[in-house]
Amino acid sequence: MSVLGRIVATERRPNTPHEFHFWTAIDSPVGIGTIVRVEGANAVNGAMPRTYGVVTEGFSYTDLETPLHDVLGHDGSPSNAVAAPTRRTEVRLYSAAVLRHVPEEPLQPVGSGTVHLASDEDVNIALRMDGYLKAGESTGIPVGMYRAGATASPVFLDADFLLGPEAAHLNISGVSGLATKTSAVEWLLASIFAHFPERKGKVAAVCFNVKGPDLCFLDQPATKLDDADRALYAAMGVPAEPFQHVEYFAPYTARGYALNTLRSNEALSHNVRPLSWGLREVLQYAEVLLNKDDIDAKADALIDFIKERVVDQPFTDAVLSGEHRVASFGELEAWFRDLLRGMEAKNAEQWRTHHVATIRKVRNRLTNISTRCRGLVTDDGSVSDLPFGAFRDRGVYVVDVANLEDDAQDLIFARIVSQLREHLEKRTLGVEHVVVFVDELNKYAPSDGPDTYVRAMLLDIAERGRYLGLVLFAAQQFRSQVHRRVVGNCGTALFGRMDPDELATPGYATLSPSTRTKLSTLEKGQLMVRHPHFAQPVFVRFPRPAVLSGREGVERFPQAEEPTLEAAITRSLRALEPTVTLDWVKETIALADEDEALRARNRTLQARPEDVKSYFRAQLKRRVGGERVPLPPRPALKATPADDPYGF
Amino acid sequence: MIDANGERRDGFIPASYDGASGGASARDVARLLRSLAGHADAPQAVSASDERPLEVAALDANPPRLEAATPIEGAFAARAVPGAPIAGFRAFLDGIQVSRVAGRWPDGLPIVHGTVAAVVRRRNDGELATWQGAPRLLRGVFLPFSLTGAARLAAFEHAGIRLIDTLDGDVATGPRHPSELLAVARTAVQRQREALELALAEAWIADGDGPLYVDGGIASSGTASRADGAIGVVKSHRTLYAGGDSLGVVLTLAEGARTTGFEIRSPRRTGVASWYLRLRAAEGMDPFFGLVRVEVARDTFATARADEVSRWVLAERAPVSLPDKRWSTMAYGIRNCEEYLRAVTGRE
Repeated sequence: MSVLGRIVATERRPNTPHEFHFWTAIDSPVGIGTIVRVEGANAVNGAMPRTYGVVTEGFSYTDLETPLHDVLGHDGSPSNAVAAPTRRTEVRLYSAAVLRHVPEEPLQPVGSGTVHLASDEDVNIALRMDGYLKAGESTGIPVGMYRAGATASPVFLDADFLLGPEAAHLNISGVSGLATKTSAVEWLLASIFAHFPERKGKVAAVCFNVKGPDLCFLDQPATKLDDADRALYAAMGVPAEPFQHVEYFAPYTARGYALNTLRSNEALSHNVRPLSWGLREVLQYAEVLLNKDDIDAKADALIDFIKERVVDQPFTDAVLSGEHRVASFGELEAWFRDLLRGMEAKNAEQWRTHHVATIRKVRNRLTNISTRCRGLVTDDGSVSDLPFGAFRDRGVYVVDVANLEDDAQDLIFARIVSQLREHLEKRTLGVEHVVVFVDELNKYAPSDGPDTYVRAMLLDIAERGRYLGLVLFAAQQFRSQVHRRVVGNCGTALFGRMDPDELATPGYATLSPSTRTKLSTLEKGQLMVRHPHFAQPVFVRFPRPAVLSGREGVERFPQAEEPTLEAAITRSLRALEPTVTLDWVKETIALADEDEALRARNRTLQARPEDVKSYFRAQLKRRVGGERVPLPPRPALKATPADDPYGF
Repeated sequence: MIDANGERRDGFIPASYDGASGGASARDVARLLRSLAGHADAPQAVSASDERPLEVAALDANPPRLEAATPIEGAFAARAVPGAPIAGFRAFLDGIQVSRVAGRWPDGLPIVHGTVAAVVRRRNDGELATWQGAPRLLRGVFLPFSLTGAARLAAFEHAGIRLIDTLDGDVATGPRHPSELLAVARTAVQRQREALELALAEAWIADGDGPLYVDGGIASSGTASRADGAIGVVKSHRTLYAGGDSLGVVLTLAEGARTTGFEIRSPRRTGVASWYLRLRAAEGMDPFFGLVRVEVARDTFATARADEVSRWVLAERAPVSLPDKRWSTMAYGIRNCEEYLRAVTGRE
């Protein structure tokens, strides 16, 4: 391979074991991020040393001593420059950070030698990918294509360091709207699904769609893949196809008729499921919704009592008017009402050590949850959840929380992650590895602000999740605003185009000014990758995701209008039973009130029975048809009495 | 990148010239002198930092002078160069020399280490590259053989150090003043440089690749002084070829003007045609500011030829060769030759 440059070291700018300098021809294809190989000129311990490095800084200068000399030389007129028959001597000088020395010992400063553009094999060695790309034992997950000059080499992440157990978690930073965060995750998930070794177990992904329609069309093919994208997919061995198995989950809207998601077009409703929880599910995570002022020790004690002694079991007490069986928020409210009425009747301030004020406070806070999280939390206790225990290999489960209040988002996140964790601990989830993708991490795990339950949970995943197979893929615009322990525990970091202000924060001080400049001007589809095996970050290019983008998706599959009660029920049941018609639903629920009809729908969707129509009908209150009774004969308004003395 | 053949070869960089391998360096000589310490008649080594190069020492006793020249283009006068400057040179030739006192014998005889080098930098598409891939280089010790003695010379020869006779084979009669010997040594170093330049110029002319800009006169080269491929441009004017009224003509030349041609003859040199040319306006400056003297082969001289060559030389004013102090008269290509030679010969 031809020589690209030559190592130079001066007293002012010496080479070290971690940095070296070289010059090249003016027209060399070297740039910031280029990987180079140095062929040493002097043997060490009988072996010619080789050094691999990535270019981090570039300098260009001429033999001019001051700019004024050039001004004088052209008589102050820039246009005179074209008359110069000789081009001024110009230097291209580069600094490179060492990626790897071969041999590794003794670790010495980089000596003189020739510099070459890295080949495919060089890139593998430089990034230590040769250690995990062995035939038959490969744990490589393609993350993108490294390009320089004529070289185009796939860059692989080590699955053991991306999904555990050695290291885990991925963090993505980048400004919004430049196809960085969501696109990169969609691409990387496709890559993981294509390359994660079967011997390592099954893998699935749970994605929280926190804004807009970003993740709403993962099962629909992309419309804008060009030949270059397809070539990248082919080169990295990833099928350019949408995800094969995707399920969507979204709570209902406040009215409860339709699901609260931008994926509401009827053509896509076949794999959209409601996400609704009852009292039992919510009480487990009450602390997510109740702040520290709410939960003092006394209130905490009462909530625990309710969880352990009241919910889902018969409960009687002398104060109460009768037996209660609390399984829903509605029944809990009835229980509170009966309890307080009983205490008032007995003029009691305490009930089982709980003060009446504490009881009122807990009643207020708990029953308020169903209002605050309306659509997610059901009064009637019906539950529709992710298929914990039956997760599919290479399945994607999207939870759409984009249109929900913060409280509801927190509750959903906390409960789903806890459930994932519990099932992974017991090995009952259905898969051994779950990637949890969360966007806007600076909102959920901010570096400052109150210590929330969600942040504590994210910290726990980041610090201990890799042992369980619970892997956090998190994205945010401003990495500096995310809790240090969360980003610090992410073994792999991707950076798209960055905001210059963000790059000015101390977290990026280790990057050279040129690398920071490149980061602030990255094109769409370019990433800087940090990975435990890579001694220095490298730049790669990844293809457009093979799925329909959110923006295109909402144009192609417009959001459905808020339906009528009958239409909403028809649409929901039709997903289970295609013969359900609007007329049938109208006739069936004609005598039911709205709550009853919705409850019947929810229970049917939860049960997914064989005979949908019968089951749905059975959930409605049985009503006896009225018997028509003949009216008694009406007396005439005017009748002549038999003894009418006037004789009309 | 342009290779030695003038071909563009992307990504290819020829091996840099390794200056250290071009003969005995000053360090080699110092090492030898140190090894001789303790012997009878051992020379005293001199630190390189203690001695200035002979080239910057005030050794030249020849005073500036005026010399008559024979007009060959009518009466001596100034005339504007017609037409716009245009690039015409294909390459540039220059040489460098550095000589220093490396030591002295007890009798005061100086041991002078000298380095001389010359290069042709060929221009292709505005880029300069070394013609034939490498410069010509010579390094050695300059001694007056007849005054040094065989035993002293043998020590150097035994160490494989090249020796050059500063007296050029002449036999000196009686002792000489040490300063005179230094001046003689410097002249010998200069002769070696001129020889290298001469050889390169003749090789270039034989190659016939186009006009060559030679730094300095061409009269000392028999071949170059007779060929139309070499144009000498002289920047220094210790000898002015003007007298009487013609001196005023030379010193008041306007920018872009030249004098009429004249012939320079010398007993030991080939006769050449020459003229003065003002490269830059000198109002308020030294009268020699921007003034060069151009030499071409006598037989090729004609008014049209002198105008054409003048346009070529004027075109070389850009880019300016600052920060060199001689920038008003030095072509950038010549500065490039010097920078190149300094880089490859290293610090001596």
